[in-house]
Amino acid sequence: MLVLTILCCHDVLAVGSAATPLVAVHPAVPVDKLSQAQLRSIFLKRQVIWPDGVAIRVFILPVKSATHRQFSQSHLQMFPYQLDRAWQKLTFSGIGTPPAEVGSATEMLKLLQSTPGAIGYLPADNETTDAKIIHIKP
Amino acid sequence: MQKLFTSSLKPLLAVAYALSLGWFSQAQAADDLHWHGFVAQGMMQAKNSNFLNNTGEVSAELTEFGLNSVWQVDSSWRLAGQVMYLDGGNRFQQGWRIDYLFLNWTALNTLDWQLDLYLGRYKNMHWLYSSTRDVAITRPLIVLPQSVYFDAFRDIAVGSDGIALQSTHTNSLGEFEINWSIGATPVPTEQSQRVISTMITGKTEQDFVHQFSVFLRPDGSKQQWGVSFLDSDFNYRRADTDIFYDGDFTVQRVMLNWRYSEENWELSSELVQERVSVYGFYAPGMQRMQFAQGAYLLARYNLTPQTTLYLSHDHYFANKDDRRGATLPLQSGGLIAPFFGYQRDSALAMSHDFRADLRLKLEYHWITGTARLGPNVVPDVVVNTSRHHSLWAFQLMYWF
Repeated sequence: MLVLTILCCHDVLAVGSAATPLVAVHPAVPVDKLSQAQLRSIFLKRQVIWPDGVAIRVFILPVKSATHRQFSQSHLQMFPYQLDRAWQKLTFSGIGTPPAEVGSATEMLKLLQSTPGAIGYLPADNETTDAKIIHIKP
Repeated sequence: MQKLFTSSLKPLLAVAYALSLGWFSQAQAADDLHWHGFVAQGMMQAKNSNFLNNTGEVSAELTEFGLNSVWQVDSSWRLAGQVMYLDGGNRFQQGWRIDYLFLNWTALNTLDWQLDLYLGRYKNMHWLYSSTRDVAITRPLIVLPQSVYFDAFRDIAVGSDGIALQSTHTNSLGEFEINWSIGATPVPTEQSQRVISTMITGKTEQDFVHQFSVFLRPDGSKQQWGVSFLDSDFNYRRADTDIFYDGDFTVQRVMLNWRYSEENWELSSELVQERVSVYGFYAPGMQRMQFAQGAYLLARYNLTPQTTLYLSHDHYFANKDDRRGATLPLQSGGLIAPFFGYQRDSALAMSHDFRADLRLKLEYHWITGTARLGPNVVPDVVVNTSRHHSLWAFQLMYWF
């Protein structure tokens, strides 16, 4: 009973913080907002095309970075090791390919601007005037 | 059902493979071809049991090598396959096999619904670790809980030839994943000897395996719940010199699974009840049926970003109405000891990542009972004379 009580009390992931990364897409992506569940489907590579038929290209920052950890927990409601496991399952089960990892926020921004169908995230303090920011509904 | 399905399977696969090969030759310009692989080598010792070998000596029979490829033909079609080499002593049939080779059609892909169809040798997606048990780096333990992931059954359970559907759906309740599959797996004689008895000389066929599962991750929750069902028939046809008779086997499973994740630790568990019925085999017209039960609880703790600890306890009863195996000596004229009726396995393991693509795993198992040592229809009472046994293993794995 004690274990169940502890699990129930802590069962909901904390959402959002002052440093919550921004979710950004290529300017031509025909979506302005997504739910957290829809965003999770995209980053788990279940959802692979946008409503206009363009293939989704998912980019992530280094998996050990603070921004990736913040993004995983606040927007996807998952811990980085859960994402790693899901992507390894994709890779070694033949049911998909993991997201492409980029080295820095600057590189991420360039790819988001230049790659049709791209989606990624940027640190909250990043200069984002040239990126299309997506609103994520809790 | 059984013969209808078996007879229709080969043309189905032939069509899938022919289509796949045709596409492959036409789209050499496609740039969405991905290769991945892994190699894992270790040492293991399993004392006082036939789990690894019959002598209990230290062995290097802990080799796994896999190479897989995914070719994204377009946004709706994908071809994927994995070739695998295994050397696991008594645990697995040594040599190469194709773990999966399927054509994947994405029939529906909207923001809230996804539906995929797999044709060919598809992977078993119905249990927590069934789709990743064949890859060393994606297994939490070198030796998974045997109540659910019985090694002697590995090649039969890891995938089947046929059709599978997978759908994911998101709504206000959370995320649902629904899987359905029907197929059959070839059973070579050496494989059936590991499951049934080393003394058989006839042929075993899986007539069909039909599975359905649902996973739910409630919205905003750290938990995931799942339920799965399996129904499968096998037949055994004796050889002229056989000491056994023609037989039909039915295996039916109901399983529940659960996972709870925190930032630095995680719990996962699966419960299984398995109905096994045998008609014939031991003697013409003989009927036998029993329900097995099993459960495990597995905990992981992320000690550092590179180091993870695992603790597992697994419990299995071959017959839920005879949990201590008391009737086994009576049924076998004293040949089979009661401890063949159950198995308890407590394991402690550690994994450490030296690099992003290089991992070392270490583990130790304390085991009581021999119900999950193969073969399990006619058990090995010559080697498995001890109620208590143990094993240790380490394995170095590299992937790309």
